[in-house]
Amino acid sequence: MNNVLVYAEHRGGQTRKVTFEMATEARRIADALGGKALALVVGAGSAQLAEQLKNYPLDTIYVNDDADVDKFLLDPVVDYVEAAAKAAGPSLILIPNTLAGRDVAGRLVARLGAGIGADVTDFHIENGVVTCVSPKMGGALITTCALKNADYAIATIRPNAFSVAPSATGAQVQPIEKPAGKTYSAVIESDVDEESSGEMALEEAAVVVAGGRGLGGPEPFDTLLKPLAHALGGAVGASRAAADAGWVSYSLQIGQTGKTVTPSLYVAVGISGAIQHKVGMRASGTIVAINKDGAAPIAEFSDLMVVGDAFSIVPELTKLVESAKKEAVS
Amino acid sequence: MKIVVTVKLVPDPNSEKKIDPNTKRLVRTGVETVLNPYDEYALEAALQLKERAGGDATVTVFTMGPEALKETLRKALAMGADEAVMLADAALEGSDVSATSYAMAQALKKTGFDLLIVGGLTDDGSTGAVPGALAEYLGVPCITNARKAEVTGGALQVERETDSGYQTVRGPLPALLTTALTFGEPRYASLKGIMGAKKKPIAILTLSDLGLDRPVGTDGSKTQLVNFAPPPVRGKGKTIEVADATAGAHAIFDFLKEKKLV
Repeated sequence: MNNVLVYAEHRGGQTRKVTFEMATEARRIADALGGKALALVVGAGSAQLAEQLKNYPLDTIYVNDDADVDKFLLDPVVDYVEAAAKAAGPSLILIPNTLAGRDVAGRLVARLGAGIGADVTDFHIENGVVTCVSPKMGGALITTCALKNADYAIATIRPNAFSVAPSATGAQVQPIEKPAGKTYSAVIESDVDEESSGEMALEEAAVVVAGGRGLGGPEPFDTLLKPLAHALGGAVGASRAAADAGWVSYSLQIGQTGKTVTPSLYVAVGISGAIQHKVGMRASGTIVAINKDGAAPIAEFSDLMVVGDAFSIVPELTKLVESAKKEAVS
Repeated sequence: MKIVVTVKLVPDPNSEKKIDPNTKRLVRTGVETVLNPYDEYALEAALQLKERAGGDATVTVFTMGPEALKETLRKALAMGADEAVMLADAALEGSDVSATSYAMAQALKKTGFDLLIVGGLTDDGSTGAVPGALAEYLGVPCITNARKAEVTGGALQVERETDSGYQTVRGPLPALLTTALTFGEPRYASLKGIMGAKKKPIAILTLSDLGLDRPVGTDGSKTQLVNFAPPPVRGKGKTIEVADATAGAHAIFDFLKEKKLV
C-alpha cells in the first residue's frame, strides 16, 4: 500500500473544506510511502471541483460527471471509488467522516477487504506502516491504530483536524470510465437542503456559536446567535435539547447523537453542558460560555464562563466584535 | 415479513470506560452489560413496522457476543421482539470492523430476513462502518439514517436525514436500514412483556454453523490497536459573575482579544 486516494464528496461541485484538508494530507502520506496522491470526483459539477483541486499537490484527479451518482443512494459512488482504487493499485483511501462518508467507507471495507481507521485526526507513517490517531468513546480515549494485512485501507477523516495548504503541482485531470455491469437499487426520489446555501458547514467552521435550552425558543437562534456568528465569521449550532424541542433542525445538533465540532472558538449560549453535548465539542480550541446558572456543568470545561443574561450580553458583544472589525478594515 | 434487528451489548454507558493495558480491549468485568441504548431506537422502528404490517410479521433480535451475556437480550424480547439469535464464539474475539461484519453477515444469511435494521450509533468503539459493510457482504441495498420508513408493495420507502437536510429514497426488499434517533423514542417493556420474554427462544450460533471462507478474530482483522491514552486535560477556566450586560460583553470581548480570536 503506497498510494493515497481522496474521495471528494460534494453537491453539484460545491464541496467542504475537508476535501482540501484531505488533498493536502494525501500528498504528505503519499510522499512518506513513496506513492502517488490521487483524487476522485463524480457526479454533477465534477469538472468544476476538479479544477479547484488542481490547486492542490495531487498527481491525478479522476473525474466523471455521471448523472446516476445523484439519482441513486451511494451505489454508483461506491462503484466508482472501488474502480479508482483498483486503477490506482494498493492504496489508502481518505473519506470525510460525514453521514454519507461513513456509509461509503463501510461498504468499501467489504468490497476491498480493507481495514478502517475511523474519525482520524492524525496519521503517523513509519517503515511503510500507516497508523491512525482517533478519539474514541466521545473523546474519552485517544487511540492509535495500525492498518495492516491488506492491500487497501480506509480512513474516515474528521473535518477541521488537518491543515489546508494549496500548491499547484500540475495534477492531471483524467476521465474515469463508468464501472460496467452494475445495477443500482436505492433510488433517490427527492433531496431537500435545509442548510441555506452560502452558510458554512458546522463541522468546519472556525467559530461556532451554539444555543441550548436557555434560549427558550426558536427565535433567539435567528435574532441573537446568527448576528454574533456572522460577526465572528462562524456558524450556528445547537444542543440536543434545542433540536429535540424543534427549535432548530437536527443538522445543527452538536453532541454524541449529533455532530462533532472542533472550531478554534466555541461560544455556548444557554447550554448547561451535559456529557451528551460535551463529547461533541470538548476538543474546541477556546470555549466561552454564557449562562444564567453559575453551577452549570459547562463551567467545568470552559475557558471563560460568564454568569449573566445572554439576551442582553450577546447583542452588546456582537456590536463590540463588529466595531472591532470595522476598525481593523479602516 | 421477517424483520431482523441487530443490537450490540455494551458496558453500561453511565459507567467509566477502561481499557485493559495488556489486551488493549475494553474492560467488561465488574461493569453491567446493557443493550446499546441507540439500538433500542432500531428495535422500536422494527416493532412499529411489524405492527403496521400485521399478519405474520415477526421481529428477531440478533447480536454477536459472548454467550454469557445472552440474558441481556431478554430486554429486547420484553419490549416486543419475538425471538433472539446470538452468534457466540471465542474465535471472534478481537474482530475488527471487517471481520465482525463478515461474520455477522454469514450468520444473518443463515437466519434470513426481509428487512434488516441496524442501530446507527454505538456508545463504545464506534466507527459507523458496520452497516455499510454488512449490506455489501449481504448484497442488499443500504439505506441509512431513516426518520420514517414504510413497507409498501415489497419495497421500502424511507425518509432519511442527510448532512444538509433530508431525502426520500425507495429500494427493494430485502434491504438494510439504519434509523436516526428521530424515528421515535423506544417504548418501555410492559409487565406482560417482561413475563412473556422469559419463555421466548434465544438461539445460539457458533462459527461451525456458518462455514466461513476467511479468518475472523484477531487473525482476520486488518487493524491493530497499538496505543491509547486519555486526551489532554482541559482545566477549568475562569467563572465570572457580571453586574450588567455591558460588563459581560466587555469581559468576553477582552478575553477574545487577549486570545487573538477577534
